[in-house]
Amino acid sequence: MSIEAPHRRHFLGTLAGSFSGLALSDLLARDGVLSGTLHHPPRAKRVVQLFMAGAASHVDLFDHKPLLEKRHGQPWDPGETVELFQSTPGACFASPWAFRPYGESGKAVSDIVAPLGDVVDDIAFVHNLVGKTGVHSQGTLLQTTGFVFPGFPSAGSWVSYALGSENENLPSFVVLPDHRGFASNGAKNWANAFLPARHQGTVIRPGSETPVADLFAPKSEFIRPENDRAGLDALSRLNTLHAAARPGDDRLEARVRSYELAAAMQLSATDALDVSREPEHIKKLYGLAPEGPGVDDTTINVKAETEFFGRKCLVARRLLERGVRFVQVWSGNDNGFPRRNWDSHEDVKRDHGPLAAGMAHGAAALIKDLKQRGMLDDTIILWTTEFGRMPCSQGSQGRDHNPFVFTNWLCGGGIRGGTFGESDEWGFRPADRARASSVYDIHATILHQLGIDHTKLTVRNNGIDRRLTDVHGHVLREMVG
Amino acid sequence: MSLRQVTSGTDASRIRIAFASRRGRSSLAGTLVLWATLSHAAPDFEKEVAPILEAKCLFCHDSHAKKGKFDLSSAEAARSHGSFQDLVDLVSGPTPEMPKDEPPLSEAEVKTLAAWVAAGTPWPEERQLAYNPKRDLDWWSLKPIQEGLVSDSTGSGRNPIDVFIDRKLADKGLKPQPAADPATLVRRLSYDLTGLPPTEVISEHSSVIGGIKLPNTDHRLPITAADWRSLVDQLLASAAFGEKFGQHWLDLARYGETHGYDKDKPRNNAWPYRDYVIRSFNEDKPYGRFVREQVAGDVLFPGTPDGVVALGFLAAGPWDLIGHIEVGEGKLDGRIAKHLDRDEMVSTVFNVFQSTTVQCAQCHHHKFDPVRMEDYYRLHAVFAAVDRAERVYAGLPPEQEKQRLELTSKINTLKGEKSKLEGDLKKLVSAKTSGVDQRIAELKEKHGAPDLRPQYGFHSQIVKKPDEEKWVQLDLGKSVPVAEIRLRPAYDDYAGIGAGFGFPLRYRVEGSDDAEFKTGVTTLRDATDRDQANPRTAPVAIAAEGRAFRFVRLTATKLVERKDDYMLALAEIEVSGAAEAENLAKAATVSAKDSIESGERWRKTNLVDGIYHRELSDDQALAELHALQTERRAIEESLRSPESERRIETIGKELAPLEQQLKAIPQGELVYAAATQFNQAGSFRPTGGKPRAIHVLHRGDLKAPGAAVAPGAIPLWPGAPETFPGFATEGWDEGKARAELAEYLVRRDNPLVWRSIANRVWQWTMGTPLVGTPNDFGRGGMQPTHPELLDYLATRLRDDPEQSVKSLVRLIVTSEAYRRASGHDEANAAIDAGNTCHWRANRRRLTAEEFRDSVLAVSGKLNRAAGGKPFQDFIIEKPEHSPHYQYHLHDPDDPASHRRTIYRFVVRSQPQPMLTTLDCADPSTSVPSRDESTTALQALTQWNSRFVEAMSRHFGERLRQEAPESAEAKVELAFRLAAGREPSAKERAVLVGHLKDHGEESLARVVLNLNAFVYVD
Repeated sequence: MSIEAPHRRHFLGTLAGSFSGLALSDLLARDGVLSGTLHHPPRAKRVVQLFMAGAASHVDLFDHKPLLEKRHGQPWDPGETVELFQSTPGACFASPWAFRPYGESGKAVSDIVAPLGDVVDDIAFVHNLVGKTGVHSQGTLLQTTGFVFPGFPSAGSWVSYALGSENENLPSFVVLPDHRGFASNGAKNWANAFLPARHQGTVIRPGSETPVADLFAPKSEFIRPENDRAGLDALSRLNTLHAAARPGDDRLEARVRSYELAAAMQLSATDALDVSREPEHIKKLYGLAPEGPGVDDTTINVKAETEFFGRKCLVARRLLERGVRFVQVWSGNDNGFPRRNWDSHEDVKRDHGPLAAGMAHGAAALIKDLKQRGMLDDTIILWTTEFGRMPCSQGSQGRDHNPFVFTNWLCGGGIRGGTFGESDEWGFRPADRARASSVYDIHATILHQLGIDHTKLTVRNNGIDRRLTDVHGHVLREMVG
Repeated sequence: MSLRQVTSGTDASRIRIAFASRRGRSSLAGTLVLWATLSHAAPDFEKEVAPILEAKCLFCHDSHAKKGKFDLSSAEAARSHGSFQDLVDLVSGPTPEMPKDEPPLSEAEVKTLAAWVAAGTPWPEERQLAYNPKRDLDWWSLKPIQEGLVSDSTGSGRNPIDVFIDRKLADKGLKPQPAADPATLVRRLSYDLTGLPPTEVISEHSSVIGGIKLPNTDHRLPITAADWRSLVDQLLASAAFGEKFGQHWLDLARYGETHGYDKDKPRNNAWPYRDYVIRSFNEDKPYGRFVREQVAGDVLFPGTPDGVVALGFLAAGPWDLIGHIEVGEGKLDGRIAKHLDRDEMVSTVFNVFQSTTVQCAQCHHHKFDPVRMEDYYRLHAVFAAVDRAERVYAGLPPEQEKQRLELTSKINTLKGEKSKLEGDLKKLVSAKTSGVDQRIAELKEKHGAPDLRPQYGFHSQIVKKPDEEKWVQLDLGKSVPVAEIRLRPAYDDYAGIGAGFGFPLRYRVEGSDDAEFKTGVTTLRDATDRDQANPRTAPVAIAAEGRAFRFVRLTATKLVERKDDYMLALAEIEVSGAAEAENLAKAATVSAKDSIESGERWRKTNLVDGIYHRELSDDQALAELHALQTERRAIEESLRSPESERRIETIGKELAPLEQQLKAIPQGELVYAAATQFNQAGSFRPTGGKPRAIHVLHRGDLKAPGAAVAPGAIPLWPGAPETFPGFATEGWDEGKARAELAEYLVRRDNPLVWRSIANRVWQWTMGTPLVGTPNDFGRGGMQPTHPELLDYLATRLRDDPEQSVKSLVRLIVTSEAYRRASGHDEANAAIDAGNTCHWRANRRRLTAEEFRDSVLAVSGKLNRAAGGKPFQDFIIEKPEHSPHYQYHLHDPDDPASHRRTIYRFVVRSQPQPMLTTLDCADPSTSVPSRDESTTALQALTQWNSRFVEAMSRHFGERLRQEAPESAEAKVELAFRLAAGREPSAKERAVLVGHLKDHGEESLARVVLNLNAFVYVD
């Protein structure tokens, strides 16, 4: 297809008044700008992004560094001056957890992520990812939008924009935040920015009293089911009259339809979020707690973290099954205290232990469950975080930020298992500094699997043709075969 | 091999093969070359060839970008891809392969290249090429504004706008729609100029009310020109005009009241800038002055509050608190934050005032527009001394303001020095002790069962100052030889202190046979010259070498802080004599200068009771722990320098009186704005007006600085300055630089600034702009639909002595073009479906703010109080770290939140859910045009939100109060309030039916969701 089409469409879409023939198709068409005209045959249809807010430590989870065990407690000398975010580099700090090999590949992962050992052969590890900054907000934005400052669409918005939705009764891009709060930048991590508003991430809070804002009428002295129904009916008649008296403007009809879609969404979303009818073995697979989301969380613990993350993974699967295109799942809230995120400056063991155990349980369940349903073939799972953590200690049991190297992993959607890119012997920088990977490569690869050439998915904003991958990015060819 | 493969290939070897295969088939090219060489002398590489390559090829093929792995940055690199003749082939012919997606090279350029290759003029090996476009000003927006456009074509007394618009309509064969009916016109004008429904802003006594309040008025009658004009004037004079147009400007200014990024802390004094914008539109401030104030008001209009408040524009965007305060300029990440911060200011100034994109020139010369990297970095230099912070704009006499700034500056300098000294020590210590700390942590984890018993030890009285001496002493009963004295520190969790509680910073230990310590005193340890590292729970051993005495005294000369107060505490003193195991202190009596004697917890006798805090359950581990703690203390003490300790102490003494003086000065009124002087916070320190050095950064990389630059601007039109006279690359007057930039912006010959604002005023009034990309008039943007009209409006504003925006608005809304019906016409739509020619009026949806304000207005709840602190329609949880802005906890019935939406507190990280769903602007970046989407989520929020529910109740109550007589009267009133007209018979029937069955509140909820309410015809 011509690359002009999205431009034209976007231009018209932003100029109030120039709507003829667009509003209704924008509302109803499940199509994205590339539907039916993908750049090449796709391998995947949908994406789940698992985001560890606060910066998860690669050397404590997936990137085994025997040298740290050998040098534990000794001064750390990487052979260059290191400028850290909060501290000055401490001594070598071995992971508090042992690493063991799993699967046919014998890939070693840490004891706190042991559940992922079962599926380790399906996972593509990228251990040589480099960031641009050690500041949380910028690092998080970089991973979610490809830019270190706000104002750019989230990867989920780009995918929604390109591919549209498979189910008009559900949003195409859904966000499942940590129920304890948003990560840094808040809603900017799922913002549509200059893309049309329907591509923004819709926040759903599984297990809460109102999982979707305004999905149903609020508590009210006067709203009752009968006047709710009658009101919508009257509204539909009046708005249809209004539209009929004003031909040639399909926004008016689109608005009539939007209320019908809203009603359909009430049913679809309720159904998607109802995990109660899942069989017991599935609930167990995801590690749901018998007491549900109200599980005791007074001090951070494995049971609660497993319930929180597992429930989101299960809901993610149900949304994907129903045609949601992109689901963002968050582990960890903002960088407050007591810590409920991965920013373990003080104590890696205290925070990473329960968070990682919960994450690994849920993520492994999601992979296995998608696989047994035949959905792993065309669903990409991306595990990411804003940056890694240092091989040396901060204080005595913490680790400072490491934007110089960290780990991402991908799974499913035609991605091959294995390790693609190594860090150096410390886990401090890429083993081959000239061939590091970046978020642009990860995004380019995901778009590639979806049938999209990342250099051709562009939208002009304030005079510049913007892409998810800015002016960078290479598809990680080895990973996609 | 096909051409397509060559251009789309990314594999260097494939390109080389392509080159090789092309070599054999260039007989035609050879002929051309021969012809070219005949007509050209051998071109000079430097003067003739390099400029073509640098302008046309190097953007994609420099040593960095290497598009298609093709590098033309040096002769060597270029040769590795093939012969230079291949290069000529690629750009020659009727459809040249290169430049890709760009206009081909001119004939002359191709000839020059061909002649160069034929003549074999060498490309010097050392000559590196880089992208270097010509400054090409041949573009519509950069040409002088055309003047005198309308006078020769008019004379009919018609509104000049209609002359331009009708000309184009006639050209295109479009038939304009007739004038809209009065009710429609009045509602349209009311929303466009005030953002409120007519019943809210138009006086009941107005002669022109379009049938809104008086049902008897025949609204089919056209409104007379005089009546229309008087209505326009009434609305322009309303305070609501500034609130409506101010919102347009705040969208552009990316105005928000939190910092954004991590933590997203509130910015509590941003609002004076919002009020300034509203006031400026209401007072019809001359546009040139409005521009100048927002860039350099403090310099150009000294002594005026507006001159300072207006600088809120520069500061209005997001700000990375962590990068500036916690990281700081001492680190690369902090310098990156500062660089991005300036980039944000520079880009916004040029996007908003000049409709020009400059941000691409951060990494390379602009690909389309005449903006070079040096230009861009010169703009960085203009803002090199300012940061975003709170500053005083009113409420403080100039003398005191001066004094305040001086004091702040002194305090900042001292604090900076102190934190550097302290930071240096901390760094040294933590680098040397982290191995020890790891082991300590391991021991504690393994054996950590603290033995907490109540008999903590001795505790002196509490005092307010650290330098009050305290002592405590033991009487051993008789003079005995002593081998060693051990001080065991106390432990108490009070104020989170724990181990080492109350252990003195400076002290001495003495022995004597005189209870008064006046004679025969042996000093065993003198630690009074500098602060001592806290021993935590490790015992402090003092050797006595067998000297004999009866009394042992510990004197604290500098007390440690408890919580804003000071005291001495100690768990135990042990004294060993000749036999090592023997503790001579066990039977000793304790006396002290004073003691709090607080039950069994703290008393003198506890000092010799053998009970002290034991951190670990295992004795061996405890011994190791104490050894490690002692080692750590030794390391820390060895790194302390007496000079820096003394300096820190002196600084503390100097700071106290300065801070007292500062406190005595009234704070004044604060605004969050661009500032060079402010209170230091962490690593965020003001420049005091001294600009930071600015370099051209290779590829925008701070690690690759090039030449230093002086402040300047961009020569975007003939005669525009490039550098400002009298500025060097360091030590310039930062205020003067901003003033120069402000004057550059408002120059009469600047074609961009006047076209930019003319286009915006048209857009704000007519609904669509004349140039479809209001923030980009460059080659990447769109071209004007009515260039002459745009220039007419631009000159009119520029040359108006008052530079009145209101006068421009008045001109537009009194045109026929503005007053057309918004109806459909098949024939017209076939020619101009997007209505770019303005054959009809643009129907539009209410903006997010208009929707909220109107719901409040028709429900009778709108509070029109103007200005001042913003209302919050959320509850803040966890304010101490990262505030959680919880909209769902806010009570929609809270009257404080019933003000116009422009007065809300604008949060960046958690935008207001309803407004965001309704396409309100994102304050991350400058937003020139709102989106107008239609989504199911909008239906949900408009139908189900708590706000609409609450207002439906009030609206229902209003209907009962104001139209008690009948259901018909209630429906009529509801419809008039919401839709500005009477309902049709069918509409009336449906609504009356619903009212009778379900009541006023339910009726109100339906009405607030009507298309007739949400759209303006």
